[in-house]
Amino acid sequence: MYEGKVTHRAINQLSFEIEKGEFVAVMGPSGSGKTTLLNLVSTIDSATSGTITIDGLRPEEMTKDELALFRRRQLGFVFQDFNLLQMLTVEENLVLPLTLDGHPIEEMKRRIKDLAKKLDLEQILDKRPNEISGGQAQRTAIGRALIHQPSFILADEPTGNLDSKTSRDVLELLGRVNQEQKTTILMVTHDPIAASYCDRVVFIKDGEFFNEIYSDDRRQTFFQRILNVLSLLGGNVHDLSTIRLS
Amino acid sequence: MTFRQFAYRNVVRNRRIYAAFFMASMFSVMVFFMYSMLLFHPKIEDEFLREFAVSGMIVAEIILYIFTLFFLFYSMSAFLQARSKEFGLLLQLGMEKKQLNRLIFLETMLIGAVSVATGIFFGYAFSKFFFMIVRELLQLDSLPLYVSLKPFALTIGAFFSLFIIIAMTSVVFIREQKIIGLIRGYWKTNELQSYSTLKAYLGIGMLLFAYGAAAFTSMNVVLALAIVLPPVALIGTYFFFTHSVLFLLNQIKRRKSLYWHRYRLIAISEVAVKLRENARMYFIVTIVSTVAFLSVGTLTSLSSYTGQFRELNPLSLIYSSEMTNPFESEHMALLRNELEEQGVSYTLVPFLIKKQTSSFSQNSVDILRESDVNSLAVALGLPLLNLEAGEGRFIPYSEESINSLTNRQIQTVLEESNVPIHIRSVYPRMLFPSMVIGSNIIVVSDEDYRLIDEPISGEPINSSYKFFAFHVEDWERTKSIGLAIDSQVSDAIYKGGFTNLPFYFENPGFKYSIIRGTFSLLLFTGLMVAAVLLLAAGSFVYFKLYTGLERDKRQFEVLKRMGLTDKELIKIVNRQLVPQFFLPWGIAMLHSAFSFLSLQVIWRNLAAVSILSEMILVLVVFTCIQIAYYFLIRWRYIAHVRSS
Repeated sequence: MYEGKVTHRAINQLSFEIEKGEFVAVMGPSGSGKTTLLNLVSTIDSATSGTITIDGLRPEEMTKDELALFRRRQLGFVFQDFNLLQMLTVEENLVLPLTLDGHPIEEMKRRIKDLAKKLDLEQILDKRPNEISGGQAQRTAIGRALIHQPSFILADEPTGNLDSKTSRDVLELLGRVNQEQKTTILMVTHDPIAASYCDRVVFIKDGEFFNEIYSDDRRQTFFQRILNVLSLLGGNVHDLSTIRLS
Repeated sequence: MTFRQFAYRNVVRNRRIYAAFFMASMFSVMVFFMYSMLLFHPKIEDEFLREFAVSGMIVAEIILYIFTLFFLFYSMSAFLQARSKEFGLLLQLGMEKKQLNRLIFLETMLIGAVSVATGIFFGYAFSKFFFMIVRELLQLDSLPLYVSLKPFALTIGAFFSLFIIIAMTSVVFIREQKIIGLIRGYWKTNELQSYSTLKAYLGIGMLLFAYGAAAFTSMNVVLALAIVLPPVALIGTYFFFTHSVLFLLNQIKRRKSLYWHRYRLIAISEVAVKLRENARMYFIVTIVSTVAFLSVGTLTSLSSYTGQFRELNPLSLIYSSEMTNPFESEHMALLRNELEEQGVSYTLVPFLIKKQTSSFSQNSVDILRESDVNSLAVALGLPLLNLEAGEGRFIPYSEESINSLTNRQIQTVLEESNVPIHIRSVYPRMLFPSMVIGSNIIVVSDEDYRLIDEPISGEPINSSYKFFAFHVEDWERTKSIGLAIDSQVSDAIYKGGFTNLPFYFENPGFKYSIIRGTFSLLLFTGLMVAAVLLLAAGSFVYFKLYTGLERDKRQFEVLKRMGLTDKELIKIVNRQLVPQFFLPWGIAMLHSAFSFLSLQVIWRNLAAVSILSEMILVLVVFTCIQIAYYFLIRWRYIAHVRSS
């Protein structure tokens, strides 16, 4: 069929740092290398040149199994289409990272209880992913990313499949996690509203660093500034949301 | 792109899924074709095996046809279901139902045409080889390859009609669904917790009952059980797969310490989904495998009967002759000539058998001389006798008589000659075919034998008779010896008893070659059919795995991102595949094992044959095949889910 890939530099000469406890968004037009960047940081892809350092660790120097264990303990993932395992209940999806790492049952139960309360999932713990709403599914996915208390959460378009009200809930939740647990979050997004919840937005274009702006406590103005950069960035206009900030 | 091209591309691009489907139907066509080649073989026409071979082939062909129909229907509907999203999309894009039906019809017929063509091609290619095997089995002089339209016509006609039936019915399957149902596809239509506890217990209970009854059966009830048990086991198996398995898995799930343990969470829940989703398929696979195991096992036990036939009939040729027989010298010369002509070396031991009345039973007894028996025993490599004067032994007339006479002791007097004999025990091996000798036959020492000089009272003077026992090392080489005498005996038997013939002739070598030939052909035919069944059963599993591959691949991608190591992935795959492969197989094994326990009862009564070792062999061979198949599929499956 259509095998083989055309070699292409998805990311080129891109260099930036994320502070511990920072909430960073990466924005850029389609094909700018956002997903590649996320995969590199996720340690499931490796760069042909250049280095990534996470908490002093260098993924390219680790074996496959070490990487897996690293991801399992240190990273949490939130995906656009939730990627909940359909054969598991909400509760089982939540507990999955802990079972992989072999935690004691009592601890798992305790953490589920805490998280379910925090994420308002208590009513649906026994339901399956196909029986719950998109917002509930994404909250479950966030719960799954949080339950093992990772130091670093990677989110790929977490609001891409949600309506605006649910998006706001999810982003506030991420903001709260960032505030309360000092968890570092890297979020890739198209959505300027989503980006406006972050401390900093990094813009990339054609795989290269384009610009970055920091939040100043007021989300409304930060949102405006993000829009300004985006218009400078050009790219495809239809990539940008036309949703007005309420 | 024309409509036909569209259908063609659909098949080519879905080739990975279509492959299993194609392989199984091609193999079935191939075997069907080879059987029809044998069925219409002009050479078999005049052979005595013709009738048997032909009817065997016809039965095999019918089984193959029905099974293939069933298999294709099931695979087709499963396959179309896996593609239901695609069909839903086509309908949504404005394709008419009529067009969709035509698309499916074209796709099915394309697969059908290709598998019929390749099946016949390989069938013809392997026919020569097949004929060689059959020739060996039936010991025919030659069984050449021939060219005739008949087998081609039969195969093409049968399978085209079959594919047309399949194409039509699978269209019906799609037609009945709504677009929305098709689009929603997988998870929306799969409710998970749907078992009934009652039926779960019922399934286990019925199986246990069937097993128990089969294990503790006796000859008195075995026939009644043969009618009652199969349906009970059938329904029990169905409930077992559709309810009991899910019930048991749910019991495990409830115990968090078992369930929430590393990758078990994923493995168990995944197994639960797969088993639930494919319950009916596993039921079919189980039944099909059981039938295959049973038929092969039964046939092998027939062959073991053949082996024991040889043991019960150690002599190659035996000619018995009364004193008044005018043909004796003529027949003996004939037999000797024939043996020499064929270059068969032989040992001939003549017996003169005397008759006396036993004082013990007042019946007539046939008396052999110890040295004659010993010369025969030397030739056959059997234990020698060492009798004292006044001592005698029974000569066994059947396998059971050896057991029943071993501890028998009789003090008797051979009345006419007044010779007292103490008969103790029995000669431990069969010497003569049971048709040839009576049930009252003993061997005495040479001294006593010489003392018997008075003829038995109430019978003609020359009431003694002779045995000519031929021993030929290579047993089956006697199969064409003495056929003329044999047909005289058969004629006499046919006309109402051979007792009025002054002679009797038996050629166990010839009989053996018939029995062996028929049984081996049966076995061979059965093995080929069983191979088709097992291949199909295996491809059901393969097929289901491939239709779910995309989903599984995506799931493993997520898990890998979450930190699943490669080792854990392989462990999950193992735990996921093992039940799918070995649960139906295990149940089929249990079914067959218990069925054989009952069959054993029948066999022991019928032929005094034990089929245990054959059965174990059959089950071990099937297990090895299954394990090899498992590793093959696992290798492919892991390669696919990893390639992301």
